[in-house]
Amino acid sequence: MRTIRRVVSVLSTLAVLALAGCGDTEGTRSYAGMPAFCQEVLPAVDAYMADFEQPTGERYGGTAVVGGIGEIADGMNALVSSDYSANQHQLFVNLMSLVRLDEALELAPYLAHSWEVNDDITELTFQLRDDIVWHDGTPTTAHDVEFTYLRATDPQTAFPNAAFWSNYVRGPDGVEVLDDHTIRFRLQEHADYMDSWRATAIMPRHLLEDVPPSELRQHPFGTRCPVGNGPFVFAEHRPDASWTFRRNPAFSEELGGPPYLERYIYRIIPEPTTLATELLTGNVDVYIAPLPDQAPAIEASSEVELRDFAFRNYVFVGWNSRRPQLADARVRRALTQATNRQQIIDALLGGYGSIANAGVPPFHWAYHEGIEDALPYNPEEARRLLDEAGWSEIGPDGIRMNAEGDRLEISIKYNPNQQRQDVAEIMQSQLRDIGVAVRPQVVEWATLLNQINSPDLRDFDGVVMGWVTEFKVDDHDLFHSEKRDTPFGWAGTEDERLDFLLDTLQLIVDRDEALPLWHEYQERLVELQPYTYFFFPQRLGGVNTRLRDVSLDARGEWVNLKDWWIPADERIR
Amino acid sequence: MGRYLIRRLLGAIPLVLGIATIIFFVLSLAPGDPVSIYTAPNVSSEVLEQMRQNMGLDQPVHVRYVRWMGSMIQGDFGVSFARNQPVREIVQQILPNTLILSLSAITLAFLTGILIGVFQAVRQNSLIDNSLSVVALFFYSMPSFWLALMLILIFSLTARNVWDWPFYFPASGMTSVGHEFMSPLEQVGDRLRHLALPSISLALVLAAGIARYMRGSLLEVIRQDYVRTARAKGLPERTVIFKHALRNALIPVVTLLGLYLPFLFSGTVFIETVFAWPGMGKLVVDAIGQRDYPVVMAGAFIFAVMVIIGNLVADLLYSVIDPRIRYE
Repeated sequence: MRTIRRVVSVLSTLAVLALAGCGDTEGTRSYAGMPAFCQEVLPAVDAYMADFEQPTGERYGGTAVVGGIGEIADGMNALVSSDYSANQHQLFVNLMSLVRLDEALELAPYLAHSWEVNDDITELTFQLRDDIVWHDGTPTTAHDVEFTYLRATDPQTAFPNAAFWSNYVRGPDGVEVLDDHTIRFRLQEHADYMDSWRATAIMPRHLLEDVPPSELRQHPFGTRCPVGNGPFVFAEHRPDASWTFRRNPAFSEELGGPPYLERYIYRIIPEPTTLATELLTGNVDVYIAPLPDQAPAIEASSEVELRDFAFRNYVFVGWNSRRPQLADARVRRALTQATNRQQIIDALLGGYGSIANAGVPPFHWAYHEGIEDALPYNPEEARRLLDEAGWSEIGPDGIRMNAEGDRLEISIKYNPNQQRQDVAEIMQSQLRDIGVAVRPQVVEWATLLNQINSPDLRDFDGVVMGWVTEFKVDDHDLFHSEKRDTPFGWAGTEDERLDFLLDTLQLIVDRDEALPLWHEYQERLVELQPYTYFFFPQRLGGVNTRLRDVSLDARGEWVNLKDWWIPADERIR
Repeated sequence: MGRYLIRRLLGAIPLVLGIATIIFFVLSLAPGDPVSIYTAPNVSSEVLEQMRQNMGLDQPVHVRYVRWMGSMIQGDFGVSFARNQPVREIVQQILPNTLILSLSAITLAFLTGILIGVFQAVRQNSLIDNSLSVVALFFYSMPSFWLALMLILIFSLTARNVWDWPFYFPASGMTSVGHEFMSPLEQVGDRLRHLALPSISLALVLAAGIARYMRGSLLEVIRQDYVRTARAKGLPERTVIFKHALRNALIPVVTLLGLYLPFLFSGTVFIETVFAWPGMGKLVVDAIGQRDYPVVMAGAFIFAVMVIIGNLVADLLYSVIDPRIRYE
C-alpha cells in the first residue's frame, strides 16, 4: 500500500506542475526553444512595439474570439498558401495587399495609395504609401513588392496561385522599382489585371530574401513567427488550438489608425456542435460558417445573431462526357431538369441558398439574371429530352435503354460529406422517376481526387463537388478543350464557341464590352450542361451581439476586423 | 532484472524498425498525393510538380525510404507537408497536451474502476451491485464521442443557458482566453475546469470496463484459502480485502494498464475532435487524410514504441505486485 500511496503523491505533484507550468505571462515573453529565426525577429517586434502608446478612447479595448473548424494551414506565408482562412488573415489581419475591395466590390487603395496604367495596358505603376512599417520597424517599400512578385512567379517557389500573373512579363524583366515607393510592372493587355494585387499580401524582403525559394514553404516565418505590416501583430500560435494577434499601435492613421480591439484570437474547434455551444455560451464571439441546421438554435438565442451573406462558392455535379451515356448534352440537361433543385436547397440548406446555373456568383458584375429560369424542374421535359436522345425504350425494371440495349445507368461519386451524400441520394431518387438508374458511391477524398483528376483514369460518371471562385472568374481550366486532358478537365468539354468565349473574356478590359459575351458564355454553359450546377449556398455567420460593426460579406469574414469594437461595459476578456 | 530490461529493449529495436518499414511502404502504396490539397484550377501542373520536388516526393520509393530511415535514426522526422513545420517541433508542441488529457483520464479511470469493482465484489449480488453492473454496462457500451457530446449539451450549454448555473464547464480548448493573465491558482483551476469534461468522457468508458475486470478477479481471489485464513485470524474486513486480496486480484487489471498505456501518447481522435483538444490522435488522423507522410510516419513510430514500452511496463509491474514473478 505504501508504494501505491507514493505513486499517487508523485503523480499528483506532477499533475499540478503540468497544469500550472504551461502558461507564460505577457511582459516576460520567452522565445526559448523556438527556431533561431524566431528568437531573432520576435524580440525585435516586441522592442519596436513597446515604443508606441496604445490608443485611448471609449471604443478601444477588449478581445474578440473567432472560432472556425480548421487550422490556418499555411499560416501567414502568402508565398505558399492558397487556403481560405490563411488568405483572409494575411489580407486583413497580419499583412497588407496593394489594393483591396470596398463594400461595392470596387478596387480601393490600401498599401498602394494610387496606381495608373498606360493606354494599351502594358505598364502598371503603383505609388505606395510611405507610412507603412513592418512590425519590427523596417519600412515597407517597393522593394518588398518586387521581392513578393519575383518569389511568387519563381517556379522554384511553387506558389499555388502563380497563374495570377500569367499575363504579366515573368521574372526581373517584368518589374522595375522606380524609387522606394514607386514600382512598375509590365504585362499584356487583359481583364482584371489588378485582382492578383487584391488577392496577394506583400511579404517582407528584409527577412526572407536569403531563404532559397524552394525552402520558403517550410520556413518558420509562416507558422511560428510571422512579421507583418497590417493592423494586427502576431503574438502566438498553438498548433490545432489558436492563433493570437494583438493590436498594432503604429498602424497608419490615414488608413484609420490602430484597430479598436486590443487582442484578436482565432480558435480552432473542429466539431460544429462544440463550436455552436461555445458561441451560444459566449466563449466564442464569431462562429465562421455554421451549418444550416444550426441556424435555428443561433437565431433563437438572445446573445447572438445569425448573419447570412452571398459567398463565392457553388456546389455542382460534374458530368464526364467521355462516358457514352453522358456524351449527349440533351441527356445532361435532362438530368438537371429532372432534379428539383429548389427542394434540395430548402431541405439541405434550410433555404439559405439560390439555384445556380453557371459558375458566376450572383453578386458578380457579370452575373446573368436571364438564365435563372433556363432549366426549371420539369420531369416531363426531361423525359422528352431522353426520348429524343435515343433512350426511349423502358426496360422491365423501369430503367431506360437505347437501341443497342444499354441501360441508362450512372454512378455519382462524392467524398465523405453529409451534404454531398444527400445531394447524390436525392438525385438518385428523383432521377429514378424518369427512368435513370443512379448509383451513389462514396470515395475517400484523396482517392477521389486521384480518380477524377488523372487524365488517363477519369474513373467516374458524375461527381459531387464544390468550387470557390475568386473575384476574377475564369473557367478556362474547367471547360476549354485545350484543358481536356489536364487535371480539372473533368467534364471533357469540347466546344469551339465556348473556347472562343473563354479565350476572349479574359482579354477584354472594358466591362460594358465584355458583358454581352459573359452572358453568352453563361447561356452556352446552360446549353452544354457540363455540370449540373446546384446552388450558391448563402454563407452563414454567428455573431455575439457584444461585438459591434462586424460586417460579413463576399469579401470574407475578416474584411473589417479592424473596425470591430466592444462597448467597455460588455468586455468580458 | 537489469539484464532482462536491456534484453527486452534491444529486442524491440528490430521490431520498431520493421514496423516503420512496413508502414512506410504501405503508405506509399495508398492512392492520393500530398500536394492534392493544393490542386485547384489555375494551379498549373508545373507548380504541383515543383512542390513535389521541394518536398522530395519526386524520388523513387526506395530512395525516399533510405533517406527517411537515415534521418529518422538520427532523430529527425522531416518536415510536415501540410503544416510546413518540422515534425519534431509539432510533436513537441502537441504531445504534452495529449499526455495531460490521457494521464488524467487513465488515473481517473483506474481509481474509480478499481474502487467500484472492489465495492461490487464485497457486496456481491446485492441490489447496489446489480445496479452498478447495469450502469457500468451502460457506459461501457456507449461510444465515447456520443457521451462527450451529451456532456457538452448538459454541462456546458444547458447548465449555462437554461439552468443558469453559476459554474459551468467550457465545451472546448485547454485553457480560457486570458489564461495568461490569471493568478497561478486561478490558472490551475482554469485548467481543471477545461480538463473535466474530456477526461470524464474518456474515463467513464474505461472505468466501466475496469470495474468489470476488478469485480470478477476479486471475487475469485476472495474464495481462496489464504483469504479465509486471514478472516479466521480475526483481521478486520478492510485489511483482509485491501491488504491480502486486492494485491493478487490486481494482476489482470495491470494487464489492462499495459494495454492502455500506449493510448497515453496516441490520444483519441474522437474526444480530441469533439473537445477541440489539440492532441496526437487528431494530428495523425488529419495527416492521414492529407497524405502528410512525415507526420503519419512519426505518429506510427511513436505508437509502436509506446505499445512495446506499455507491455514492458505491465510485465515489470507484475513483479512488483506478485513477488513470485521474477525476471532474470
